[in-house]
Order: sequence, then structure tokens, then C-alpha cells
Amino acid sequence: MHLLKHLRQLNGLQGLRQAIRQVSSAPTKPSALQYERDPQPLFTDAETQRLLQSMTQLNLDRVYRKRTVPDNSSETKFMTNEQLDSEFQDMVVRAQHMLQMPPIVEIKKDVQRVIAKDPALKDFASTKYVFTDITFGRRQSERKVFVRETDGTLEYANLDTIKRMNQLYFPLEGRQSYIPRMFALEELLSKCLTEHKYEFILDRLLVQYEPHEPEFHNISARVFEHLNESKQFDLLRSTRHFGPMAFFYAWHRCIDDLLYDMIRRDYLHNAVELIALSYKVHQIPVEYEATLTELDKLHPTPSQKALAELRSVFRRPEDQQGIEQEINTAIGKTEQDFAADEISLKFIEQYIASEHSLKKVQLELAVQTLKEVNREKLLLFQGLKKAHGVQAS
Amino acid sequence: MLPIARGIYGGLVNITRNSRGALHTASAFRCKAETSTADAESPEADGEDNSSSSAPDPKDRSKVIPVETSMRYLKSAAYKQTYGEDFVWTQYRRNHKGMYAPRKTRKTCIRQNRISTGNPCPICRDEYLVLDYRNTELLEQFISPHSGDVLSYSKTGLCQKTHLRLMVAVQQARDSGYLTYDVPFREYDYSEYYGQEQKQKA
Repeated sequence: MHLLKHLRQLNGLQGLRQAIRQVSSAPTKPSALQYERDPQPLFTDAETQRLLQSMTQLNLDRVYRKRTVPDNSSETKFMTNEQLDSEFQDMVVRAQHMLQMPPIVEIKKDVQRVIAKDPALKDFASTKYVFTDITFGRRQSERKVFVRETDGTLEYANLDTIKRMNQLYFPLEGRQSYIPRMFALEELLSKCLTEHKYEFILDRLLVQYEPHEPEFHNISARVFEHLNESKQFDLLRSTRHFGPMAFFYAWHRCIDDLLYDMIRRDYLHNAVELIALSYKVHQIPVEYEATLTELDKLHPTPSQKALAELRSVFRRPEDQQGIEQEINTAIGKTEQDFAADEISLKFIEQYIASEHSLKKVQLELAVQTLKEVNREKLLLFQGLKKAHGVQAS
Repeated sequence: MLPIARGIYGGLVNITRNSRGALHTASAFRCKAETSTADAESPEADGEDNSSSSAPDPKDRSKVIPVETSMRYLKSAAYKQTYGEDFVWTQYRRNHKGMYAPRKTRKTCIRQNRISTGNPCPICRDEYLVLDYRNTELLEQFISPHSGDVLSYSKTGLCQKTHLRLMVAVQQARDSGYLTYDVPFREYDYSEYYGQEQKQKA
């Protein structure tokens, strides 16, 4: 009886193990949305990069948020204005570096490349031999790794082995030699997603996987899809993942939710850029470059904007433009912004009217609301200007 | 019934193995039998007392409390009344002779499923605080908001065994995504991924 019971227990365990194995393959199973052709040329295009960077925005508070790392000491210094200004410039450059987008490349296929077959070496050893070139300073992708199989074949190692050897000899900080449970088990990943830990998942994904691995594509696609449903796009704004996310939506023709979010938050120039990006990706013959150049003239780039915000500490209260500045800050917009809004609204309405938009009613409503708010703001702006005797241009 | 039998069997084996310490093993045997009954009972009925003769022993730690109960406890009014807004370790003070506390805390507070000390550590003294990777609310109390590390036992006063369990639970929680942490920044060398022609462009 005992034996029987033991057997049954063992069987039960095996069933459990199988279940775990089935579950564990779930997050890495191919998602519905995949890049069907190589997205790299489009992604690395200079114009696309500019659009994505502009959409990401640059919020210094968010980029330099307090991190819980072992050493996060701060330093206090006395500086002259010139030194402070150069420090500000450095800070913006460093922030741009922190927003470096992870590359989007095709999934790399594993090909077996045999160098030599030596049947004489068969059963020379009971294990495989892996040879790795560990020359200092060589790039990871250029590192040569070979495997001598037990049947005497000498061949190039597969991608998995190369990654493991690289991690063994030149460890990347934060990467595990095993698959983290978070990525291995379906329920843990979906739990993280429902708790909106998007940035954490994506950060961890970057460290754990290479951009050309299928797991990288599948999990990031899953995160973006979930994000598109929960509509918490603001969680990724001004992080390095916003660009790839926007690109993903543009590629898979589902920009409408993101567009709605941008309109609602009054980031109209970003909305125009997103539409332009989707036109560019799908090669839709709509003229968007003229609108973009016009907007670029009126809008500073994110880095310029951040720098201007930092430099506002130099401004003196008794300056000439004091009152005009005050009006601008009270309204939250300048005259240029109003002009830019008009151009971008025209462009967005054109998009909504076209057949490319899927959620027309929602977008139209958002645009209408924004228009009304803008009109009120404009009236207030003009009224304030008149009351303070600032010359209207 | 089966666990009791197994417990008795184990005890017998012990006795036969080292017949010299017969008295000692006998007492241990009784203890073991008790724990096994408690283990058998706990999944079925919580209300039933295993020591039916007298009032429950406050130092007894043989009963296994499930994590779900602990998680509910941390949200309950009873917890609030006990600890208030503080962490579970804030009000704890170590007992020691002289001015300075020994460098290390005691090895363990619980021996043979009983509290063996008068001043057990903050986790051991409250049996409803269960260290587990799912119990994030408890784990977060032991993580420094500045460095993200697990706080030292010299600060929290945990016994060595519990501290080790805490470290394991925190690692598991981070691995499973229950606790978030700041992942190290990964810098990409684009030329590695985009090939030669891109390098010339940039």
C-alpha cells in the first residue's frame, strides 16, 4: 500500500512538473503582434529617431528620480553662474544619455555552422568542450565561441551558448544565469502587468535579454499590448521605453489610444508627430513634413525646453519681461503655443477624418473639448495682456 | 492518524539508535508527536486547540500559520493597535548587559517549536508575522528606502536565523516581481546591433 501511495505521489509530482513546464513556456510564446519584416532600417532612420525622442519628452525630475542604489550620495558645491550654467548643460546631455532607446532589431535565427567533422575524436570525452575567446576589450557580438561535440564535430556555438559564455566571463550587472521567475511563470508576469509595473518589467527585460532574442520581442510586445488596454501611457513618458512603445503602436496600426491620451494631456505636437510616424511607417501618401517643420520652428526640442527650465533660476524678478512671463506661466501657454496648436489641430482633424483612424468618435470628442478649453485660455490670455498694457502683436 | 504513527515510529528509531540518552529522547519524542498532530490538524480546522487540557501556551510556535492569514493580519485593526504606524521592529529593544550590545544578535529565538527566550526578536515574538516572498507588506518594512538593501540585524534586532530567512524571502520576491527594485542601467553600443553602415552614419 505504501509503495502504491509513493508511486501515486510521484505521478502527481510529475504532473505538477509538466504543468509548470507548460506554464513556463507561456510568456515566451509568440505574441499576436510581431514585426513581420526587419524594423531596424525604419527605426534607426534619423527622422524617426527625432520624432521618437520628441515624443518621449524630457522630464528631468523623472529621469533623475531618486534611485535606491547602494551609493546615492549627493554633493553640495558653491558655484558661479557660469559654472552652474555649464553644469546644467552637462545635466541635460547626461539625461539624454539615460533616455537612450534600446535597439529594435529582427529576431536572429540560429544557424548551425560546422567547421570540421572528426569522427576519430568520437567518444574522446563524455562532455562537450566549449572554447571561448576571452580577449579583453572585444565586443560581445564579435567574440568567437566554438563547441567540440562528443561525436567529434567542431562547430560554431549557438546563440544561447554564446550568451551564456559572455555572461560567464564578462558578466553584465543585473543579468541572471537562469530565467527570472517573473519571466518564466505566466501568472507572475500577468500579476506584474496588472499592478502596472511596466517600467520595472521593461528595465529588467533589457538587462536579461538581448534585443535580437525572441523572448525580448514577445515580452515587450505583451507589455505594450497590456499598456494599450490599461492606457497608462504616462508611466513610460520620459523613460527610454516610450520611443519603442510608440514605434510598436505605429507599426501595428493601433496608435489611437496613445493619440487620445496625448490630446487629452494637451501634447498636441506629440500627437502630430505620432501621426506623422505612422504615415511614415506605412508609407501613406500624406504630406506631413511641412507641418512638422512649421511646428519645429514654434516648439523647442525637449532638451532645449529642459535647459530653459533649469536656467529659469537665473531670471531676476525686476526683469523687463516680468509681467509677460507671469501671464505666460499663469496661462501655461505662450503666443507661439497657441499658433502651434492651431496648426497641429488642423493636422489631427485631417487624420481623424481619414480612414486610418479607428476610434473616430472618441478622438473627435477629445479634440472638441480641447478646442473649447483653448479658446477660453486664449480669451483670458488676450484679456490679461490688455489689462496689463502689454503690446499685443 | 498516520502522522502520529509516523511520529511514534521516528521516536522509537531515535530511542533504539542512542539508548544512552533515553530520557532526553523520550521528551523530544513527545514533542515531535505533538507537532505532527498540530501539522495534521492545521489545514482542516483552525479553531480546535491541540492542547485540550489547559489554556494555549503563549510560547508555543508549533502551529504553522499560512501566509494568507499573515497578509490579512497586516491589514487588520489588531495589527494597527499593536504596532500603530511604526514598523514591526521600531519599538523592539535588545536586552544585553553593559553599555554595548553584542555585535551579533542571538542565533535563534525558537528552539524545538517553542520560544526559548524572554525577549524574542520582532518576527519571532508575533507568530502572525510570516516571512514569505508573497508577504510584500512585511518585507518592505525591512528594506532601506535609501539604498534598497535589507536592513542590518543590528538595526532591526532580528535573530540570525530569521534574518537569513528574511534575506531569502526578499531575493525570492525580487526575482518573482513581487518587489520592485532599481534595475542597473544598461548602456547599448548601437554599432553592435546595427552593423557597419550605421556606424559610419553616426
